[in-house]
Amino acid sequence: MRIIIAGAGSVGRYMANQLLEAGHEILLIDNDPGVVRKAIGTRGVEVTLGDACELDTLALADAGNADVVAAVTGDDEDNLVISLLAKQEFGVPRVVARVNNPNNEWMFNDMWGVDVSVSTPHLLTALVEEALNVGSFVRLLSLEQGKARIAEVTLADDSPAAGRQISDLGLPRESTIVALIREGHVVVPRGDTLLRTRDEVLILITGDAEDAVRSVLVGTRPGPAAREQ
Amino acid sequence: MSGLFRRKGNRDEAAPTDGTTPIALTPFRQTVRVRGQVTKIRQRPARGLPSLVVTISDESGRVTAIWSGRRSIGGIGLGRDIVIEGVAAPSPDGPTFLNPSYLLLPPPKG
Repeated sequence: MRIIIAGAGSVGRYMANQLLEAGHEILLIDNDPGVVRKAIGTRGVEVTLGDACELDTLALADAGNADVVAAVTGDDEDNLVISLLAKQEFGVPRVVARVNNPNNEWMFNDMWGVDVSVSTPHLLTALVEEALNVGSFVRLLSLEQGKARIAEVTLADDSPAAGRQISDLGLPRESTIVALIREGHVVVPRGDTLLRTRDEVLILITGDAEDAVRSVLVGTRPGPAAREQ
Repeated sequence: MSGLFRRKGNRDEAAPTDGTTPIALTPFRQTVRVRGQVTKIRQRPARGLPSLVVTISDESGRVTAIWSGRRSIGGIGLGRDIVIEGVAAPSPDGPTFLNPSYLLLPPPKG
């Protein structure tokens, strides 16, 4: 796929490297010559000096043929303008935007051309929560304007799901277990996979299935405070 | 609003309905002009930035136009014939235009 990344700071460069390894065609855009110079060292990545908030820059970058535009600058206003232009003027099918200040997250939706927003602070909060709370339900990522979510549960010793097969859990139809992380390795879940305590279970949930999923994987247990005793 | 990113060329020079494409043939990702009737209007959302989501249909199909930052546009009502011009992006609702230019056609006489 052809991917344009606006913002060649550490986030943009890291993404470029990862996506390049995955075999994608990458173009990085940044308006800071110093940053661009740094990025030019990355082999295989095309780098352009320019302001991605300008229509002409995006046109030169051939945004009309990009499969994905990712607006990942450190400035939320810029990210919104880039997203809007990508969607409105070039009809880019997939626009991903980085939210720097969580207070701005409400604006990152299809009104501004954003298909997927990623909020680093929100993700960090979620990861800290996850590190602290074995057995609790942690929302990691929201997709399709919140209609679908990826959540994670690390199964506690008293999880009702521990020791059972996935097909026997009775998960709601609107949810699916997409991966298990067991002792640091990813396990592809199948119906006959047996869940164990300390498994990190990643679940994709749509609609209002969250409470049902929670009761299957976490059970009806008191909050964290009570659990520590 | 849409004047912010006005496209090149003056569309007033040609007759408003010239060069329109049947809606079912709306191409993605290139500037296109389609003509149709407003068949559905939604205001979104209760929270956050307001927007107007309008379905435009002809005999061949329908497209969606989203205008951000407003709850209504004078003259755009159910049954109105309009021409919109912009770039369509694929979406679950079919071809979707974000803030297209628009032109209201006179209502049929009688």
